Amino acid sequence: MAQRERENRERVERETVSAAWPGLADPAHDSQRLFRQILGAMSEPGTLETLVLPAPPSDALGAALWGVVLTLCDLETRVWIAADLDSPALRQALAFHTGARITDDPASADFALLTHDAFDPEMPFALGSDTYPDRGTTLLVAVERLENDSNEARGDTNGWRLSGPGIADSRLLDIGDSPGCRRLMSRLGANRTSFPQGLDMIFGCGARLAAVPRSTRVTRADAKEVN
Amino acid sequence: MNGYNFAYLDEQTKRMIRRALLKAVAIPGYQVPFGGREMPMPYGWGTGGVQLTASILGADDILKVIDQGADDTTNAVSIRHFFQRVAGVETTTATTAADVIQTRHRIPETPLRAGQILVFQVPIPEPLRFIEPSEQETRLMHALEEYGVMHVKLYEDIARYGHIATTYAYPVKVDGRYVMDPSPIPKFDNPKLDGNPALMLFGAGREKRLYAIPPYTRVESLDFEDHPFEVQRWEHACALCGSDHSYLDEVITDDQGGRMFVCSDTDYCQSRRGEVA
Repeated sequence: MAQRERENRERVERETVSAAWPGLADPAHDSQRLFRQILGAMSEPGTLETLVLPAPPSDALGAALWGVVLTLCDLETRVWIAADLDSPALRQALAFHTGARITDDPASADFALLTHDAFDPEMPFALGSDTYPDRGTTLLVAVERLENDSNEARGDTNGWRLSGPGIADSRLLDIGDSPGCRRLMSRLGANRTSFPQGLDMIFGCGARLAAVPRSTRVTRADAKEVN
Repeated sequence: MNGYNFAYLDEQTKRMIRRALLKAVAIPGYQVPFGGREMPMPYGWGTGGVQLTASILGADDILKVIDQGADDTTNAVSIRHFFQRVAGVETTTATTAADVIQTRHRIPETPLRAGQILVFQVPIPEPLRFIEPSEQETRLMHALEEYGVMHVKLYEDIARYGHIATTYAYPVKVDGRYVMDPSPIPKFDNPKLDGNPALMLFGAGREKRLYAIPPYTRVESLDFEDHPFEVQRWEHACALCGSDHSYLDEVITDDQGGRMFVCSDTDYCQSRRGEVA
């Protein structure tokens, strides 16, 4: 009897979680569609993709990053969650939909969920090694905005100029001008000095997504020189 | 097809390959180890390429499969039928109409466009393997960017034959960092790797490695200042379409020494003949 009750309670909890934190309606085809968009974003750094999926209840995380989690995480992956995004509901939803393990150690995480505010360049995420550079953490970061247009039109100079693999000439990306966003982009700029070790980042803003892998050269848009 | 997941592979395997693909794209030319699965075809028949294709393919994609440029050879036909059965996708032979092209040993003559994905079947992904048999050593050589030995190999060609005699699987350097085996494509196709608007993915099933060249990436073929990289040239034009700028196969037509040169890219040859007619 006690077991029946416990099962009932667990079932109700599961249903509550899945109602609040939506999964993919058609896992095989939805995850394929989302993955192709993520692959497109990663192979052409700075291009914007809009992911179509039901939004999660957390505005701070946003639909795009939730889509990345649902597409890429499973019981083989470890996820680190920054304090400002962490909640029992998110942990439950992650466990329910993906089976991913939550870790407290950024260095052992395959994916890290955080907001731009929480980013600190000193966080010891895994960068991979020179022999296995692929064994690094992929950062999923919620940012203020995601735009490609030149910021000169708006009278500010926040954007960053990206070049390198996946970019024909150069591409502007503006993720916002908070101190956190600046820390993020300068950290990405530092990737070149440690290549092939480095951090790959996927940015989300609502349903919009862009990626900047470690191969990208990042400079201030208002800087004269582009390296 | 009943009893199988969409595109044959289970979702868990696809996710593992997808995560590896993202790292491969982030580190152009670096070989990412992945948990290669047994496929219902023997190693050497494109099991690596098939796993990559299965992981990226969607129900709306149009798939083209070529083997040495041809759509109608055994390997191409069987892989095309495989995906028709397990994914129910539309297939084509037209390079321009395809979203995903799986290829064995050629890059189509028709320029690829942005948004297309070219999936290469790779037998030996490690360009240094025939020089250094130890995986540990080659991995260290890549880490230290110690590629002098590859130039020694090319130099030995020059010492022996007077020119670089490597004609296929000609090593390239991707974005100035990793030396990469472009799979056994003829070196004629190497210039097409450079700055290509399409995404290029490479899968080796037996060796369980995958790697990538993102679009618009600098890809240089290794060479020497006094022996610059050159591609093959033919004195003939294609006997069927008259092309004087495509990669030609020599076909023996009888036992009297008769032979003809024809385009290896069948779609390119046919579309040219269609235009002329």
